[in-house]
Amino acid sequence: MDPSEVEFLAEKELVKIVPNFNLDKLYLIGGDLGPFNAGLPLDVPVWLALNLKQRQKCRIVPPDWMDVEKLEEIRELERKAAAFTPVPSPYYMELTKLLLNHASDNIPKADEIRTLVKDIWDTRIAKLRLSADSFVSQQEAHAKLDNLTLMEINTIRGFLLGSLNCMYKLRSNLQPGSSKGQYGDF
Amino acid sequence: MPCERKPMRYGHSEGHTEVCFDDSGNFIVTCGNDGDVRIWETLDDEDPRFITVGEKAYSLTLKKGKLVTASSNNTVQIHTFPGGEPDGILTRFTTHATHVTFNSSGSKVAAGSSDFLVKVVEVSDSSQQKTLRGHEGPVLSVTFDPNGDFLASASCDGSVIVWNIEEQAQMIRWPLLQKTNDFSNAKSLCRLAWQPRTAKLLAVPVFTKVYLYERGSWDHVSTLSDDLMTEPINVAAWSPCGNFLAAATVGGFITVWDIESKLCLERQKHEKGFTVCSLAWHPSGTQIAYTDIEGCLGLLDGFSASISKITMPKVNAEKAERCYEDLFEDVDDPVTDEGWDDDNSPTKKAISGVNENEYEDDSFVKPANGWAKNRGAILDDENSLDSGSQMLDQHNFGDNDPDSAVVTTSPLPATLRPVYEVPQKTAPQKAFQPGSTPIHLTHRFMMWNSVGTVRGYSDEQDNAIDVEFHDSAVHHTMHLTNLLGHTMTDVSVEAVVLACPSTDELASKIHCLHFSSWDTNKEWMIDLPNGEDARALCLGRGWAALATSTLMVRLFTIGGVQKEIFSLPGAVVCMAGHGEQLLIVYHRGKGFDGEQALGVQLLQLGRKWRQIISGEPLPISYKSYLCWLGFTDEGTPCYVDSEGVVRMLNRSLGFTWTPICNTREACKSKSDHYWVVGVHENPQQLRCIPCKGSRYPPTLPRPAVAILPFKLPFCQTTTEKGHLEEQFWRSVLFHNHYSFLSSCGYEIDEVGQSQSEKEHQEVLMKMFALSCKMEREFRCVELAELMTQNVVSLAIQYASRSRHMALAQRLSEIALEKASQIYSEQEEETEHSDIRRTLSGYDQIEHKENYHHRQTLEDKPDQEFEKDEDQEEMASQDGLEAPKSSKGGRSNPFKVLSLGKSSPVSCQLRMGNILDKMTSSRKSAPLSASVRKSNKSPIFKPLPTQAKTKAQSTLLQMTDKKAVIKKARENNEARDDQSKQADLSSALSQTEKSETKRYGLSKQKVQLVM
Repeated sequence: MDPSEVEFLAEKELVKIVPNFNLDKLYLIGGDLGPFNAGLPLDVPVWLALNLKQRQKCRIVPPDWMDVEKLEEIRELERKAAAFTPVPSPYYMELTKLLLNHASDNIPKADEIRTLVKDIWDTRIAKLRLSADSFVSQQEAHAKLDNLTLMEINTIRGFLLGSLNCMYKLRSNLQPGSSKGQYGDF
Repeated sequence: MPCERKPMRYGHSEGHTEVCFDDSGNFIVTCGNDGDVRIWETLDDEDPRFITVGEKAYSLTLKKGKLVTASSNNTVQIHTFPGGEPDGILTRFTTHATHVTFNSSGSKVAAGSSDFLVKVVEVSDSSQQKTLRGHEGPVLSVTFDPNGDFLASASCDGSVIVWNIEEQAQMIRWPLLQKTNDFSNAKSLCRLAWQPRTAKLLAVPVFTKVYLYERGSWDHVSTLSDDLMTEPINVAAWSPCGNFLAAATVGGFITVWDIESKLCLERQKHEKGFTVCSLAWHPSGTQIAYTDIEGCLGLLDGFSASISKITMPKVNAEKAERCYEDLFEDVDDPVTDEGWDDDNSPTKKAISGVNENEYEDDSFVKPANGWAKNRGAILDDENSLDSGSQMLDQHNFGDNDPDSAVVTTSPLPATLRPVYEVPQKTAPQKAFQPGSTPIHLTHRFMMWNSVGTVRGYSDEQDNAIDVEFHDSAVHHTMHLTNLLGHTMTDVSVEAVVLACPSTDELASKIHCLHFSSWDTNKEWMIDLPNGEDARALCLGRGWAALATSTLMVRLFTIGGVQKEIFSLPGAVVCMAGHGEQLLIVYHRGKGFDGEQALGVQLLQLGRKWRQIISGEPLPISYKSYLCWLGFTDEGTPCYVDSEGVVRMLNRSLGFTWTPICNTREACKSKSDHYWVVGVHENPQQLRCIPCKGSRYPPTLPRPAVAILPFKLPFCQTTTEKGHLEEQFWRSVLFHNHYSFLSSCGYEIDEVGQSQSEKEHQEVLMKMFALSCKMEREFRCVELAELMTQNVVSLAIQYASRSRHMALAQRLSEIALEKASQIYSEQEEETEHSDIRRTLSGYDQIEHKENYHHRQTLEDKPDQEFEKDEDQEEMASQDGLEAPKSSKGGRSNPFKVLSLGKSSPVSCQLRMGNILDKMTSSRKSAPLSASVRKSNKSPIFKPLPTQAKTKAQSTLLQMTDKKAVIKKARENNEARDDQSKQADLSSALSQTEKSETKRYGLSKQKVQLVM
């Protein structure tokens, strides 16, 4: 699963928009959307919101958590806590990126939010690395991590699994393999 | 004289708050539970500066640029003012301080704390502390003697103690108050107040009265009370001149007494009746700021006016009285003050500083008894303060008659001045544009309606108007420079219209941007005659209306042609337009005691002018004013009052107003409001903007519209019955606009209409089922009266299924009645068109019906039971249709309901349809079936034919009439059956749909079983 796929999943999240057009209900496979009333906020999936935004057909209302104060709080919490703290949205990173890239004019203090979310992300990834490190160094068989988002799992999965496999091979080669090697010598 | 009570402002989070003015009186400073000190330039200050002093701020005092606060970290801190820089810690306690206060010179601060101590600290050197020990409970309040000798404190142990600061000793101790165990539990904060300037009196709030103690003698010289004050007084505060004492109660009453006369000058009630926990006089004595325990800040303005008005005539009166007495009694020669002081006369201190409205009190003089030591000091002090005393003597105002000067210690009853008993006139509410925020704001919404928003900016560098349309297809955003100073505007899909009041040079103007015009001139402007000012403005379809200060309404076409002019009976409050309707609200007369007397006119413009509502009073909530006026998108007049109640015109109920929503119920906090921007009947939406802590939204950040549901204030809506009743009447009310629109000749959404019709019949049926379940048969009949004929037949079915035979019987009578009613209506209708044809048509239908009936009976004898039990007309249709589907649709829902408890049985039953019918019918009434067969069928018989006459006759008339006559009976039958079938199956499927919705779950189960 690559990041673009995770982002694709994130685009199913709902976001509030204020359309500037009137349209009846849309009947789509994924569910009905609308009706769109000009000036009246409604929830639509991110992909539609971004599409409308790009065509200047709506104004995106940033989600509640996309607020400097709230994010600062979360950042502090994340920094203090040893374990992972719950994030405001399971797709916080993807949504921040998507919304800020396409609708930064509708989001007050977009730059600060970008930095804050990046900070949170960095803190969490650092924690993740740290726990992966201790997991590997202590040679644990399993570990449990709460409150990880899909994107975070995804960033570490490839490397972690690869390296674990690699280490497994190395280890398994080391003990029986050494004898094997001896056999080979014979 | 009433002073003006300004609307409350949200200041702090809920909890204890305190307020004071700075020395210059330019700022109001408040502190509260959120630990912030806010500095308000005016009450309307949009963004007050704040200084965070701790987690909670319990008390504050401000003098000479030093802000002293008591915060939750048990310290008393200094901040600079207005800078807000921390300036050290004055003192600490073991718990938090409850009250801090400066002395008159600003050199010392006294602080009382919950650890029973009172400390007096030098501001310049905080090491110089004096601790006053003696209270046996948390200290409630402290106050300095203005001369600096004493300090009074009140405590939760019930005592009020006067201390000599220098000696740190108790001068006197009064056990006056109720004992409590903590500051937070105290009934009253008992904020003591020492009279400024003269320092003669100490005011102690004791339950519902204020006791006045004289300095020095410490005698209880007087009591101030007011009949209206029934709750404990929380705070007392002297005016800066020392002539007036304001006190506020736990119940939110604020009273101001004149100390000399002990009369109540002013009574105000907190707008919500919350506990007022702090009072502060403006240094000029013209305003009182107060805060409540909900964190709101209020202001009473206009004291100078009221006080001078009160006192001036009194001075004259007193003068006259004294002169009069002078004539009759031999009066001593006036003596100088010094002389009196030397005399040390106990009874004579008559000092009345008349100029500047200042009175030095002379009414609490008591015989001297052993307080000579202090007395000297006091009198000296008086001399130093009394600049007016000399003048007084010159003017011969001095009065040494003890009887006239000393009004004894008992207070004058307030009833002596009946002036205040008269109901007070309410200031009539000013004209406003619905959907606009107040004019004084620099950034404001000039209009927010269903078409777009108009924002006005009027700061120094920019004076502009932005018009933005919700639907960008109407027009792109407009940016106008507001050179003329427009204050009113309205926007529709055709035009933007603006109006400005007149200035010294320029007349008032109406300015229209007619952007939808197809020619090149998209703008026009018309000057109003001199002396006429635009007050309210609105747009309809193709016209604009302008109400002016000369009680006139002027109509214009959208292109700028002047049209009708008419006069209003009173000053306009606001107007709204929609299509061809014009709604005007005006002042019908003077309101009293906070009420507005509003009248409303609803005009139908266009070709045929009509006055639909001609000046009836507009009902608004008690002591509220109008906030919003407008039409729903469907064209029904609506308005909102300041209590948040939304009312809508009910055209079917003789043009009465029905409350449809109370926005305040949706608010989380008391200071939150919803600012209504639009009402929609279909779908039922109240569009409004939630405003936290204010009545109006700011322009930035862009407020988001929220939707509130409507809720008629019916009783017991938590019960199912109440809920259904509310739902029913709401759906009836919101159905009205269809008939109105069609009467206006608009095309209406027939699908929507039939749907809403269906919806309220459905609700009726639910109500019917509910009352049936509760064995309320009379109620069932009442409900059936409201039903349409088709639904009554369903109801009969339901009643008989649930074995309410008597009910079914009665219902069938109703059904018959309704049928005959419809029949007669139909007849009337058809008589106009063609009698002969219709009659024959009807005959034929009936014949067919009977014939068909017989046929089905023969064909399907196994269905007999069902037919007996159910309505025959349905059965006849079922016969031809696939029996499974039709029967399932018709009978299932009710069976589930009636036999809901015995679900396994009913499931089994449902497996075979015919079997099911038979068993169920046998079970339900094997006896009555036969009885009814003979008995009821004649009653039922006419029913189906007539039932169909409404629905089908039109159809039949259209398709069959001629053919029917010509063609053979057999042929007809086939066709009739088809049409009937089509009709009924559609009706059935409708009901079926509704039923499946309700009983979807059980039905699914059933299907699973099947």
